Amino acid sequence: MAVGWAEIICQFLVGISRSMILFIVCAGLSFILGVLRVPNIAHGSLYMIGAFATFSITKMVGGSYGFWVALALAPFLVVLVSLVTERVLFCHLYQREHLMLILFTFSLSLILGDLVKIVWGAEYRSVPPPELLKGSISILGASFPRYNLFLIIIGPLVGIALWLFTTRTKIGKISRAAAVDREMVGVLGINVSWVFAFAFLIGCYLAGIGGALVAPTVSITLGMDHTLIIEAFLIVTIGGLGNMWGALVGSLIFGVTHSFGVLFWPQFAIVFPYMAVVIVLLLRPKGLLKSVW
Amino acid sequence: MKRIAGLNRVCLGMIIFLMICLPLRVNAQGPIKIGIVDTYSGPPTTYTYDVRDAFKLAIDEVNAKGGVLGRKIEFTTRDDKFKVDLCLSMAKELIMMEKVDILMGTINSAGTLAVSEYVKTEKVPFIVTFSKSDKITGEKGHRYIFSVTENTAMIGKAAASGLAKRPYVKYWIAGDDYEYGHALADGVWGNLKKLRPDVQLIGQSWWKVGEPELTPYLTAISAAKPDAVIFATGGASMVNAMKFAKATGFAEKIPIFIHTATEHSTLAPLGLEAPEKVIGTSNYHFYYPDTPKNKAFAKAFKDAYGREPKVGALYGYLAAQFITKALTKAGKMDREKFIDALEGMKVDSPVGEIEMRAYDHQAMLPMFMGVTKKVAGYPFLIATDIITIPASEVMPSIEEIKKARGQ
Amino acid sequence: MAKKESHLKGLWILGIIFILLILVPPFVPRFFTYILALIFVTSLLAMSLNMVVGFGGMFQFHHGVFYGVGAYATALMLTKTSLPTWIGFMAGPIVATLTGLIIGGFCVRLTRLYFAMLQISLGSLLWAIVYRWYSFTGGDDGIHGIRMPPFLQALNHSYYFILIILTLSLFLMYKILKSPFGKTLQAIRDNPQRCEAVGINVRRYQLLGIVIATFFAGVAGVLFVILERSVFADLLFWVLSLEIFIMCLLGGWFTFFGPVLGTAIIISLRTFVGKYTEYWTLILGIILILVIFFLPEGVMGYIQEWFKPGMKEAGQEGKKVDASSRIGL
Repeated sequence: MAVGWAEIICQFLVGISRSMILFIVCAGLSFILGVLRVPNIAHGSLYMIGAFATFSITKMVGGSYGFWVALALAPFLVVLVSLVTERVLFCHLYQREHLMLILFTFSLSLILGDLVKIVWGAEYRSVPPPELLKGSISILGASFPRYNLFLIIIGPLVGIALWLFTTRTKIGKISRAAAVDREMVGVLGINVSWVFAFAFLIGCYLAGIGGALVAPTVSITLGMDHTLIIEAFLIVTIGGLGNMWGALVGSLIFGVTHSFGVLFWPQFAIVFPYMAVVIVLLLRPKGLLKSVW
Repeated sequence: MKRIAGLNRVCLGMIIFLMICLPLRVNAQGPIKIGIVDTYSGPPTTYTYDVRDAFKLAIDEVNAKGGVLGRKIEFTTRDDKFKVDLCLSMAKELIMMEKVDILMGTINSAGTLAVSEYVKTEKVPFIVTFSKSDKITGEKGHRYIFSVTENTAMIGKAAASGLAKRPYVKYWIAGDDYEYGHALADGVWGNLKKLRPDVQLIGQSWWKVGEPELTPYLTAISAAKPDAVIFATGGASMVNAMKFAKATGFAEKIPIFIHTATEHSTLAPLGLEAPEKVIGTSNYHFYYPDTPKNKAFAKAFKDAYGREPKVGALYGYLAAQFITKALTKAGKMDREKFIDALEGMKVDSPVGEIEMRAYDHQAMLPMFMGVTKKVAGYPFLIATDIITIPASEVMPSIEEIKKARGQ
Repeated sequence: MAKKESHLKGLWILGIIFILLILVPPFVPRFFTYILALIFVTSLLAMSLNMVVGFGGMFQFHHGVFYGVGAYATALMLTKTSLPTWIGFMAGPIVATLTGLIIGGFCVRLTRLYFAMLQISLGSLLWAIVYRWYSFTGGDDGIHGIRMPPFLQALNHSYYFILIILTLSLFLMYKILKSPFGKTLQAIRDNPQRCEAVGINVRRYQLLGIVIATFFAGVAGVLFVILERSVFADLLFWVLSLEIFIMCLLGGWFTFFGPVLGTAIIISLRTFVGKYTEYWTLILGIILILVIFFLPEGVMGYIQEWFKPGMKEAGQEGKKVDASSRIGL
């Protein structure tokens, strides 16, 4: 079939916009991996809670600005949930062996998954995009949803904010230091437990934003945690575990190869993400960028 | 050394386990037991809850009148989490442990086919309420399996019959990359080609089940400028497909056909954000046909559960009607007699009289083709311009079934 | 002396369990026979995984693939060819082992989470093939109603067959783990650098460990076909692998029989709690968290420590290992 330039450009932009959501979620996952050294399987559940909360808040507030309120508040609900789990349960486990932490986050994902079902029920939910971002614009004749344009803008903003946070604030610097050498940070008289808690919350906040941002583009269902989590782990792995820019690179690889794959070889789209990981890891066994692992 | 010591504990564990297992239950002539194994978690619940709730409503009514054959009907449900292995082991539990008289349920086609083989050896009637594979009552059909839901062969025939009346020539097919999607697409296309030899298939795209981002696919499709697109999607992807069709402005440019696009399960979550002018087919609408029977059914359901019945409710209702009527006809709870009674049985339903075809045990359901539209008074889109495709045009012929079964 | 005694005692207990299990089927409802058989099959799979996870210290995150591949190989041999049944049964472990050799060969070049993710990706590629290749594998519908030879028709017969194969496999696994090879594997788990330094080819040992484990996973796959007479793409999906992994951790992955216990707990829970509530996963989650907090060595590890003062030492040894694996991060 004939593929014009307009379609290729559109497809590229679509890939980028999808990457942005992945990037926001994966940056959170990667941050937790880097500082706490915990593969947080419950990250997908937090993302799901973010999306469901966005639905509820949008509906409750209503009007044309409902979504914006939700976008501001839903991630904090996620942070609240994670704060409770972190302080009540998780913080007692930091000294435990690795597999137990995986088991813990897995249990958490089971519990959160069922809690979401109890709170929100099992129906599909859908959030309309805000009035401002409805419909699509035309790029060289091909139509491109406005909401995706918004994602392309907000992704880098979140990235920059995160970068500023980790490099310019004290707590951010401490987290980065803890990622490299936690004993040393402890020796300096810093309460590592609180650093961990803080890093965990930042990561979860990002999962919440990801969930809120994805809400208008998908049907919000139970099980969206499952679909996301495996993809997110693959992304942070190819990028380099614990490296925020790695998460960006990984997300872009996923998003863009996927959308081009769809354009040219739709029948193989299902295997692209896995192929990408296999190729990257065979060439660079520690991921593309420097890993703290 | 420590390995050996573990043996003690295994022993202990097993003994405890056996002790839990041993207290057996003896079943006297109590109620008639029906077991439902279905997915009650995750996205499929949009459909399965309605099946269960409508079934309960109908059964409660029967029990209020004293039950069937002087016995109450009792049912118990199991959640298989949409996993085939769980589906199978829970079906086995219902049959071996609960000793249910009749098994019902399943929305997962692979699970249905696995359970189907098992009920064949156990000789337990199994009424399928949501799985869409046409193998269930077609190629793999047998004496003990019944279906009260449409299947991909029926959807294909119905859709083709409706689409053939429309002027489109160049089609594109897109859908969920799994058996249901492909079977549906093949069904529609094969039949459409027969009815309208001039149609052309200019391309296809398939995405993985649960694909969250469909914009790239839609962009690719609109680049090819087809006359119409057939979407072969199901479940959560339905809502997604509709959302993207709206967001990209796709639905306004190119006519889309999606099976169940007009169905309430798809339209309800989207509210007024669903795209208009999408062509869809469905077995049931709570507002159509506009008969007293359907109105009464929809009202009873809404009174009981506070929501409008979706297509699953029809299946749940049908299952309950077929079971009670066949039991009455059989005269006692005898599985073989029950099956004999059920073959060829006709029951009244909100969509008219439905016959359980004796040959393949497939309920003969009519299909309704409509177009989505915003209508004042509804907080969601509904189907308009509905045409009824009668069961005779929808059902695969007995010759086709015989051929599929290699007879 | 003491060692020998407890060794004998262990054998004694094993013998009693074995005889009990042989005697069970006629006395319990058929469903329990079935659930026991299902536990046997799944625990063989979990134990084979534990060989690499608990004793090999590798992040084998997609073990289910080998189980699925074994099951599919047998199912396809039995349905698509007219070769004798036993060839079909042999095909399972052989194909699983070959798959293990290939996937393992790639994976051992990496460590920890990278190892895990590469394996998930490679395994998922296989899953995608099974899921997509309708004409050959039946796609996501799977293959059902696989015919068994007459001696395996009845449930009780399959039960005995599964029990015998399980016992044989466990015996073999035990011997392997007790052999110099097994000891080396555990040494590599505890300190790969040191092993490398004394001239052990770490990767080769790890690969051999994976290959052996996948062989048993293949055997479990065949047993699954014998029990359920169905195969489906879910068997190769990562969710199943994660479940198996959880079974190992729950039971206690530093113990030989831990995974059996973990499997029994999870399967019984979902079967008997699943009767009463859809929310059995919530209960499972809570139980898992309780285990993490109160039984850090897994259920079996806890029982060992509790019942046998002499076992304390072993427990400590386990703890040391934990510490080292943590530092190794």
